[in-house]
Amino acid sequence: MCETDVFRPRGGKVRRSFVEKTIDGFSQVLMNDFYAERIAASRGLMQGLHPGSKVVTTLLLILVAVCLRSWPALVLLNLWILLLAYVSAVPLLTFLKRVWLVVPVFTGVVVLPTIFNVVLPGDPLLVLFHFSGGGHHFGPWMLPNVLAITKQGVHGAVIFVLRVGACVSLSVLLTLTTRWTYLMRGLSMIKIPTLFTMILEMTYRYIYVLLNSASEMFLARKSRTVGKTSTREKQRFVGSAMGVLWAKSIVLSDEVHAAMISRGYRGTPRTLANFKLRRLDWFWAVFTALAGIMLLGGDRLVS
Amino acid sequence: MHIPDGYLSPATCAVGYVGMLPIWATAVKKVKKTLNSKLIPLMVIGSAFSFVIMMFNVPIPGGTTAHAVGGGILAVLLGPWAAAICVSTALAIQALMFGDGGIFCYGFNCFNMAVVIPFVTWFIYQRMAGKTEVTSSKRWIWGAIGSYIAINVAACCNGTELGLQPLLFHTAQGVPLYCPYPIWVSVPAMLLAHALMAGPVEAIVTGLVTRYFQVTNPSVIVDQIAAKVEPVKAAFNKLWFVIIGLIVLVPLGLLAPGGAFGEGSADDIKAALGYVPAGLAALGDRYHALLQDYGVPNSPFSADAPDLFHQSVGYYVAAVVGIAVIAGLTLLISKLIASKEAGNQQGH
Repeated sequence: MCETDVFRPRGGKVRRSFVEKTIDGFSQVLMNDFYAERIAASRGLMQGLHPGSKVVTTLLLILVAVCLRSWPALVLLNLWILLLAYVSAVPLLTFLKRVWLVVPVFTGVVVLPTIFNVVLPGDPLLVLFHFSGGGHHFGPWMLPNVLAITKQGVHGAVIFVLRVGACVSLSVLLTLTTRWTYLMRGLSMIKIPTLFTMILEMTYRYIYVLLNSASEMFLARKSRTVGKTSTREKQRFVGSAMGVLWAKSIVLSDEVHAAMISRGYRGTPRTLANFKLRRLDWFWAVFTALAGIMLLGGDRLVS
Repeated sequence: MHIPDGYLSPATCAVGYVGMLPIWATAVKKVKKTLNSKLIPLMVIGSAFSFVIMMFNVPIPGGTTAHAVGGGILAVLLGPWAAAICVSTALAIQALMFGDGGIFCYGFNCFNMAVVIPFVTWFIYQRMAGKTEVTSSKRWIWGAIGSYIAINVAACCNGTELGLQPLLFHTAQGVPLYCPYPIWVSVPAMLLAHALMAGPVEAIVTGLVTRYFQVTNPSVIVDQIAAKVEPVKAAFNKLWFVIIGLIVLVPLGLLAPGGAFGEGSADDIKAALGYVPAGLAALGDRYHALLQDYGVPNSPFSADAPDLFHQSVGYYVAAVVGIAVIAGLTLLISKLIASKEAGNQQGH
């Protein structure tokens, strides 16, 4: 590979090749998973809850977050989620980094243009610039006299970022504190067909088998390439790698099928359901529902 | 193309799930008919494959890289129904494990990426190259063109879903509640990004992988599970019902009782649709009457009328008490669970 395009002495900027990026991406998945597994195994509020109760309450809180529309209510919800993370042994710094470094960057950039009056008309909050030739029409769009940050724009953007942040933190909290197999039990409790939860559960396992295969392919490629390669050549490698992976996958699927058949599989999935809802789980669900209603009520009063 | 939670209103998300349910059910039924007990292993491995190829960095001219969705190549290899199941599963894992794409928006994410991309690719590929020789270059070329068009159609759908939000859901002051860009901004923006970046990547992947199998192992392309599952035309006839259903449901879903949360006030809906359903108008009046009884204070962003101040003090006290109760109970329950688990461990 052109590892010379990794090192650029003049620009001083290091750019990684697609091979390295892909291998990094793969190991990131593994690291993420080990990390989540460790948190899921520690003791805390969310870990102690029945997966069914946890899935239902998380969905409920996401619904609340999506329905909220005043910033104080959204800030409160976010603070409550942080408290939940804290009592669930999730390191707060990591949690904050995962949610509040990522969301403002992506979602914030998306909504940023809407705070200006040229994109979304509104009452000016801060005038940045006076146009000399304002009032011109370009088709349906009119150039205003001033460039300003609008009240409505800032209001909307703040609410939007807070809401997306709340939704993301809730799903991060759920997956950090729940093992995949337990999560699938939780999903089947809300009447998601066993067929789907079983496919999800097994897919999760085989992702690692395929990731390993793919990672070896990329590593092998990296270790035997010297010099410069054209984009076309690189693309051909990615195409072939996918092809090889597919061929391997088909063989693997036949093997898995044979293994399932030999263990008595007849075409209908069965699972061992060994979780029981305790009083505490019910209590938690009711409490979350009440808290959600309270937040929504308060939200409607101030918005 | 993954829509995170918070970009779409809950009513829209519900429409997405309602639209996807029959598609998933049909997909499972069709694929099961040909695969029987092989359904689960093949779909599992197909889903894992779909997940992994979404992680491949595809080099593009200029030295950067991009990711492909892989819906196109899966449609060529497995047929659209099986591809729909595999991509849906991969998307579920992305949403649950990595927070890529929201849980509520999962329905529409699946519609865009797991239904539109495979079906459009398959339709074009099959129409244009379905009857050619296995090694014919028409196959990989039409596979590539098909997935390029497919991803742009999907981008259009995505842009429409996002673009409907500000038209239907905003506050009385005109603050958009969900995705703030209207349809005439969101659709061109999505299309531009996909026509220039994601489209070519998807086309490269579908074309190259199809070509790879034509050269190394043509039987993979001939023995399509797809070919045995359902003739294309019949598959499309069924899908049209779902698409028409979705188009009808989008406005209906917005007017459903759940839409009251979205709170397009009657006037907004009138502006958007041209009329106001009578039931909604009545509901809206009752809702506002209810709030007026409680003496609603203004938003902190609008200029507070002084006489409302006294009323709002009560709310702030209630809010502070409420917050204290929520925080206190959260801590209490976590203590209870901790002590219970400690007890369990001693018991073992």
